[in-house]
Amino acid sequence: MVFSSIPFLFFFLPLCLILYYAVPFSLKNGILLVFSLIFYAWGEPVYILLMLFATLVDYTNGLLMERFGNTKAKRTFFLCCSVVVNLSVLAFFKYADFFIININGLLGTDIPPLGLGLPVGISFFTFQTMSYIIDLYRGEVETEHNYFTYLTYVSMFPQLVAGPIVRFQHINAELHHRTLCRSECEAGLLRFMQGLFKKVLIANQVGALWEELRTIEASQISVTMAWIGAACFTLQLYFDFSAYSDMAIGMGHMLGFHFNENFNYPLSSVSVTDFWRRWHISLSTWFRDYVYIPLGGNRRGVVKQLRNMAVVWFLTGLWHGAAWNFVLWGVYYGILLALEKFVWGKGLAKLPKFMQHLYAILIVVFGFVIFTFDDMGALTTYLSSMFGAAGNPSFGTEVFWYLGNYGVILLVACVLAFPVYPWLKAKLSTAGKSTTTTVSVISMLGFVALFLLATAYLVNDTYNPFLYFRF
Amino acid sequence: MIQNKKLRTLTSGLLAGGVLVLSITFLLSPKQDFSENENRYLAKFPSFVWEDVKSGQYMEELSSWLSDHFPLRNFFMGLKADTEIALGKKEINNVYIAEDDYLIEVYETPANTDRIADTFHKFYEKTDTSKVDTRLMLVPTANYILANKLPANAPVISQMDTLKTIYDKSGIPAIDCSAYLTQAAASGQIYYYTDHHWTTYGAYQGYLAYCETKGLVPVSLEDMKAQTVTDEFHGTIYSKVNDYSHKADSITIYTNPADSLTVNYTDTEEITDSLYNLDYIGQKDKYSLFLNNLHTLIEITNETAESDRELVLIKDSYANSMVPFLAHHYKKIYVFDTRYYKHGPSSFIEDHPSVTDVLLLYNMNTLDTDSGIRGIY
Repeated sequence: MVFSSIPFLFFFLPLCLILYYAVPFSLKNGILLVFSLIFYAWGEPVYILLMLFATLVDYTNGLLMERFGNTKAKRTFFLCCSVVVNLSVLAFFKYADFFIININGLLGTDIPPLGLGLPVGISFFTFQTMSYIIDLYRGEVETEHNYFTYLTYVSMFPQLVAGPIVRFQHINAELHHRTLCRSECEAGLLRFMQGLFKKVLIANQVGALWEELRTIEASQISVTMAWIGAACFTLQLYFDFSAYSDMAIGMGHMLGFHFNENFNYPLSSVSVTDFWRRWHISLSTWFRDYVYIPLGGNRRGVVKQLRNMAVVWFLTGLWHGAAWNFVLWGVYYGILLALEKFVWGKGLAKLPKFMQHLYAILIVVFGFVIFTFDDMGALTTYLSSMFGAAGNPSFGTEVFWYLGNYGVILLVACVLAFPVYPWLKAKLSTAGKSTTTTVSVISMLGFVALFLLATAYLVNDTYNPFLYFRF
Repeated sequence: MIQNKKLRTLTSGLLAGGVLVLSITFLLSPKQDFSENENRYLAKFPSFVWEDVKSGQYMEELSSWLSDHFPLRNFFMGLKADTEIALGKKEINNVYIAEDDYLIEVYETPANTDRIADTFHKFYEKTDTSKVDTRLMLVPTANYILANKLPANAPVISQMDTLKTIYDKSGIPAIDCSAYLTQAAASGQIYYYTDHHWTTYGAYQGYLAYCETKGLVPVSLEDMKAQTVTDEFHGTIYSKVNDYSHKADSITIYTNPADSLTVNYTDTEEITDSLYNLDYIGQKDKYSLFLNNLHTLIEITNETAESDRELVLIKDSYANSMVPFLAHHYKKIYVFDTRYYKHGPSSFIEDHPSVTDVLLLYNMNTLDTDSGIRGIY
């Protein structure tokens, strides 16, 4: 089930919330768990067993670590058991075919691919449960004794399929005791709605243009249009993914949980380093805390630091998908980050601000072109039209056509990709009471109008894809 | 951006209330089986089968059921269309929002040109050209004839390339009606604003082109009785866009007082004296009033025809509004719908030596996907 759909928005979520609010606290986790399992099973009726298995492994190893882990060696043993099982499951379901195809290509063998469907959210929940066992090993979190509480944490539907990657230590306390207050629920509802609007009214619309453009023959599209297309995909991905995080965080509030922010206006970055502090924060901090720092981080000399960066960015790329373009995309960022750190980072900071923005956005847009084509042939084709190497003109009248059709929505998307909203909020905090009230009334009407519009788009539902299903 | 606490509560209340009102209305309201506007059966509530649950099919069907029967569905579809048009969209759901209130379908890159040309060619080879005069008429649609009304810079693929290829490869003598249509388009309405068919005035232009190549003297429109039967026709393209504020079409039908017709719908065994079934005026799909919608084989006899010739008409629905003009010239017209006719008109022609003429008539927009063409011989 996806959040931005009629079944979820009008039936699943209201029913879940009504029951959740109606029962006493002792039953709230139970309600949440049952609904989360239904949510998962809705799209993946069979793979739900896989998720139950993965959580059971970590839960059991946690218990064993507590009961028998009196020496470091034993603790390490249980940690390894858990991590090996988790990574094996992930490797098998996500990467087996990629591996087989590459082996076949390399050795000329003819091993048939397994053709397994990718279990929804496997990359997210594997990282979540691994964070628990690693933190437990480090003594940063207490052992969870109740399997159902642990399963509730992993399977919790707001963040199950598309993040943010919530760590056990962040919500451990709230899993056992949380307070629900009306103003937080209201804030959560509004945050959820904002996410819904972003997804349905912006991401899907910009994405529709990208779908039209990505399939046009390389020679038939002008250089200008090819870059607009790449910008479209960047905007689609940002609004789609951050909308899911908004909706997750919003629903978390409605349920009494506080998840960390996952995006902080990444498209307004001034450098690549800045971008990765703002994009998919829960993933980059995960790699930082569980891979980069354990490898020694930057404290063991430049050579080791470069090696550590290489490992982290290779893995970051691979995490995003079982194809070489994702690896390439990760390596691309690894190299650029190293260059910023050791070569031009200081010089960059001295440039005028708009130059820094331009530098960052070009790298990001170009990067997402690598990201979106998992077929290397299609990638080279599209890149060739971006640089006029396909014999295509630099400009064509189709630009007017597409901008006429999508210009307004693209403009809105570009503006909202920058922190306009917080800026206005800050302005308002110093404004007089009458201004605040006027803005509040306008916002209220805006919410209602956009809600009707989003519903209209959902009812039509001709175009409602879910980009992060593959992760 | 809502800093006023009371307004914040009010907003949340309105949104939550909106969700609940819609979902409760859904649960309480009776469910329709068929959507006239979309011309399709709506999803049925799925029956619970464990196999379907395991494969996820059950959940998919349940999702479609929920979306299909959503309250105020038509209102919401219209809201989306109107918003998109207001935001400057000129193409919605493969339809151009063209000038002068025209909705014109996008002509998509054809995929079956060679196969279609080949089928026509095989059909032609099988007919005895010394006895039967066979002609092929491919009618360009609004996308080509009204190209000057398309939105600026719209990327258009030419129908005429496809049309020429098929004329050449099929070998059947062609009737080109595009000049007549283009000329008439300057002064009259030859396509509906909201439907993919030509108007009866457009069909008359096709008829003029036909008469010219066949050496027939066309009946002038003044000698026929014109009757505007509806001005509330919302056609198929209208349903694709769902812009409910868009203006409706009117349909004018022509009858020739000189003809005395017997129309035999052989599949349903109905016999009447009219080429129209005006019962369809009360329905959404008003174009079906021409020749009473779809029939496997219709036998039209004109006792007062100007000749004893007999015509076999193999066609799509464009021909339905041209038959009233053709009827004057033929003692008998056999109208085939080859999607449903089992044996192929080719063998029919062999078995009926009285047949003197054959016309194949298709429009360019649906030609590529016409499933009946395979069945013509």
